[in-house]
Amino acid sequence: MVTDDSKVLLHRFNWQRLWTISPGKCITSICWSPDGKIVALGTEDGFVLLHDVENGKMLRSIKSHDVAIICLNWAEDEPLSRTDKEDLLSYEDRTTRFFPPAPVMPRIGGLNSGDTGLADENEEAIQAFSSASCQRFNILCTGDKDGCICFSIFGIFPIGKININKVPIHVQSSGKRTSYRLQDVSISKVSLSRNLHQLVLLCSGKLINTDNLSLSNDLSVGVHCLHLDTSIFSNRKNELHQVSQQASSIQDLVEVVRASISMMSKQWSNAMNLFHEKFSALPSLLTAHGMESSSEDEFMSLLFGTHTSPALHQFLVSSLGEAGLKRIAKTIESAGRELRIVVSEHLQPAVEIISFRLAELRGLARWRSRFQNIGLDEKLMDGVTERVGMLVVQVERFSRVAATVLYLFQNFLSWVLKCVKILLSEPTDQVPSTNSELVVIFLKFLLDKDPIKQLLETDQIFEWDIDTAKHVEHLVVFGGFTDTKFLERSLAKQFSELEESLKEAFLMPFTTVSSQIHCQGLLPLYPVTSSDALSSTSTPASIAFYKDKDSQHNASSYSSTDYICFKIPDGSLNLRNFVAVIKDFCNSCSTSNTPSLSGFLLHIPVEYECVDLSLYKDNQVVLLLSGKSSSENAGRSWMVMLQTENLSFSQFSRTFPANYYNLQELEALELQLDTDYGKVRSVPHPLSTPLAVSASRGVACIFSSRRHALVYILDEDEDEDEDEGSEME
Amino acid sequence: SAPMVRMNTLVYATCFADAASSSELSLAYVKLIEQLAVFKGYSAAFCALKLAEEKFPSSTNSQIHLLKMQLLHERALHRGHLRIAQQICDEFGVLSSSVSGVDIELKTEASLRRARTLLAAKQFSQAAAVANSLFTTCYKYNMQVENASVLLLLAEIHRKSDNAVLGLPYALASQSFCKSFNLDLLEASATLTLAELWLALGSNHAKRALSLVYQSLPMILGHGGLELRARSQIVLAKCHLTDPEFSVSEDPCAVLDPLNQAAEDLQVLEYHEMAAEVYYLKAMTYNHLGKEYEREEAAARFKEHVTALENPRDEEDSLVY
Repeated sequence: MVTDDSKVLLHRFNWQRLWTISPGKCITSICWSPDGKIVALGTEDGFVLLHDVENGKMLRSIKSHDVAIICLNWAEDEPLSRTDKEDLLSYEDRTTRFFPPAPVMPRIGGLNSGDTGLADENEEAIQAFSSASCQRFNILCTGDKDGCICFSIFGIFPIGKININKVPIHVQSSGKRTSYRLQDVSISKVSLSRNLHQLVLLCSGKLINTDNLSLSNDLSVGVHCLHLDTSIFSNRKNELHQVSQQASSIQDLVEVVRASISMMSKQWSNAMNLFHEKFSALPSLLTAHGMESSSEDEFMSLLFGTHTSPALHQFLVSSLGEAGLKRIAKTIESAGRELRIVVSEHLQPAVEIISFRLAELRGLARWRSRFQNIGLDEKLMDGVTERVGMLVVQVERFSRVAATVLYLFQNFLSWVLKCVKILLSEPTDQVPSTNSELVVIFLKFLLDKDPIKQLLETDQIFEWDIDTAKHVEHLVVFGGFTDTKFLERSLAKQFSELEESLKEAFLMPFTTVSSQIHCQGLLPLYPVTSSDALSSTSTPASIAFYKDKDSQHNASSYSSTDYICFKIPDGSLNLRNFVAVIKDFCNSCSTSNTPSLSGFLLHIPVEYECVDLSLYKDNQVVLLLSGKSSSENAGRSWMVMLQTENLSFSQFSRTFPANYYNLQELEALELQLDTDYGKVRSVPHPLSTPLAVSASRGVACIFSSRRHALVYILDEDEDEDEDEGSEME
Repeated sequence: SAPMVRMNTLVYATCFADAASSSELSLAYVKLIEQLAVFKGYSAAFCALKLAEEKFPSSTNSQIHLLKMQLLHERALHRGHLRIAQQICDEFGVLSSSVSGVDIELKTEASLRRARTLLAAKQFSQAAAVANSLFTTCYKYNMQVENASVLLLLAEIHRKSDNAVLGLPYALASQSFCKSFNLDLLEASATLTLAELWLALGSNHAKRALSLVYQSLPMILGHGGLELRARSQIVLAKCHLTDPEFSVSEDPCAVLDPLNQAAEDLQVLEYHEMAAEVYYLKAMTYNHLGKEYEREEAAARFKEHVTALENPRDEEDSLVY
């Protein structure tokens, strides 16, 4: 629950420390997943890191932004908003019924046996993560310093990205439509409503009238509140859920395949390096003895018993030796075993499940009326399915080639071993018998070439014999792959092609959904002068959605009211020490006939300073005030809870271009600490900024400047129910 | 998963072509051709079949011969050449040995096909009798897949004979059968039949039918063949059309899109009966929308298919390919 400088500490409620990690980057934002099992961290360089709450392991890291992520909001769809009809459209993931659990990334075995227990746990956690996160639909939205907002389903499958700088804002004012645009946007707060219908964000930037550029003036730089229509998420949530569920697990499996391929090539090249290292001595020895023949010829003549050249004799007996030969044999054998395990336990099942899931996705893509508008494209999916089919064939071919090559190696090496023993006139009955025909094949095809490596490298072209080519062409008539050249490609090349087409196919929903998020309304809040602009991101603000009281009788079509609460920085709007609370911004944007936008300003007594604020439960505001150093209250702070019902909201108009900042119209209320607006609690320390309020547990966590964290239970009536303060270094 | 079947067979045919025995390889080819017939239509399948026959001389290979007869039968049924379908059915019956208890699979297939031919000839009581006896055989020999499909066939027979209420228990039984044996595609088609049956019970059941169709659609679209897909599209359109709350003029795409797709699929399949239905529905929709030109066109196509169904010309054409 605490972030230090680039260190994350997680404590239980009773101050038991769970884990501490230091990702080595500057963390700029943090949020919990809706089910409380994952912590999402936004870093300075645009990564979103997902950490398991239980053990602090990093589950995923996604690079979605280019600059620092300022705010995170992870919203889950409410079960309330489901109706009967949608339940019928629910969709079962059949993969688990037909397949064993998905393979995990292969690990290099035997390297760190002490660490394996931990690694296993990690894998299990990832498994559990991917299965648990798919239970209910949720969206993580992230906003960054450059005005981009990304949406990702389950926090892992990116579904949309919009740049506020490019979003045109149309404002209806007195029957006239004017469009605006924001420049140099920096997002400071995002909040997605619980029914995923609306998104409210606070951002600072310069407002420009695109119709009439001359109208913009100094005042247009300021903090604005935007309302985006994200109804595509709620309207199409079943479809998005299905697609993202399949797609994210496909992406996982693609990662597995990639890891398997790279690991196989590593293993194999290690073994091959040893082999070539040993055997490269032979050609140089041959030239040293002044012979023209190649090593292949020499081995051939040895095999057919004509003669053994002194060079080969020297090579076999002294430079290679029996022990060296056995070592090579052992290395190659273990590499081959490793290869076989990776193929059979990771690569093959992964590719198979990918193909199954893709087939399911293709089925969904065919349902044009439902899935086309979230951008699932049938043609692209068809292409991907073809590619995956080819990949399956490639994997099969690879395992065949690998098996043959390994057998040939084994055969050859034992033959060489036998020869060495004969040359040393040792008994050869320990050595298994060999097939000389296969030795010839080995010498002809394998001594210099390495088909396994070729298959694992991307830029290799295979000469496939004519018979097979004809056979493949023949199969097209029977419904085979139309791309008859696919056997010429290597396994890795095929895989990268698959990846490419997958990316293309998944980009479609991404762009389609992104294009369907529109801006609905704009409310300038307060202007900032350029000097303040830098600090504007750190002004306290809070957005929250709460269910409407009056709409609760009609649960199927409930609407929610948004509350925006922020502190107006000193000096702006000629106000000092003011806090503003605005409600019903979204509704006022969508339905222009009911001017429900209302709010109030709160004047904080001069001797106090607002440190942070937060919205809590239904219509309550928690303010954190600290005494100014000049007054007699220095060193003491107050936490104030306000019932917003007790305060009078006054409506204010949205006559837009005439006056940018309408907040001045709002009534200013004096906040008296001893009045009955809410509860006041005094804290005997000076406080610093982050105030964390949890609505579900009814607690607030505050941090004093003396490195104390204090947890308060907000709802209880006793004045001093401070839980416990804990010292933290 | 149908695409998986295709892929794995292809893997086999590509990778093990040199190593496999001819009977196994021919099985792979048979599977591929079956896939072709279901997904790409008969002309492609017969084209491939010719090649396969060249590769494996048919005298030695009963599998390819059997496949050929199956395909011919299906095509005859779709084209409405009932006499030929009957003839092939008889051939099927002859193929199996006469000793009871032997060649059960072949026998069940023969009688399944006989029941379907009778159904196409609108001899409902005889079809039902055949299907019933088939069900008892399947039950006796514990053939679960056949059990489910026979139950589905019985439901279909009752539906076609306008006895939707009698058909419902069969469809439900088939559905639960499939569920317990993980036969997803068959279950989806059972659900589809169930939807059709509800639809037949009257327009106030349209909502329920629609939700049933929605349930089965992902499965059918992903893995079902052309015929099943077209059928589900037709039912979808019908659901919309019979729903009293739905008005065509408001959302014509909801009806026309599936109908167009079904028409495309059926064109490939040469399935006159269902194509006629599609064009009938299309003409009705256009009539509602007031688009006369399109209506006339759809009506003309409808007539074409009906005449093709009623006077099966070039019957001898059905046996050659």
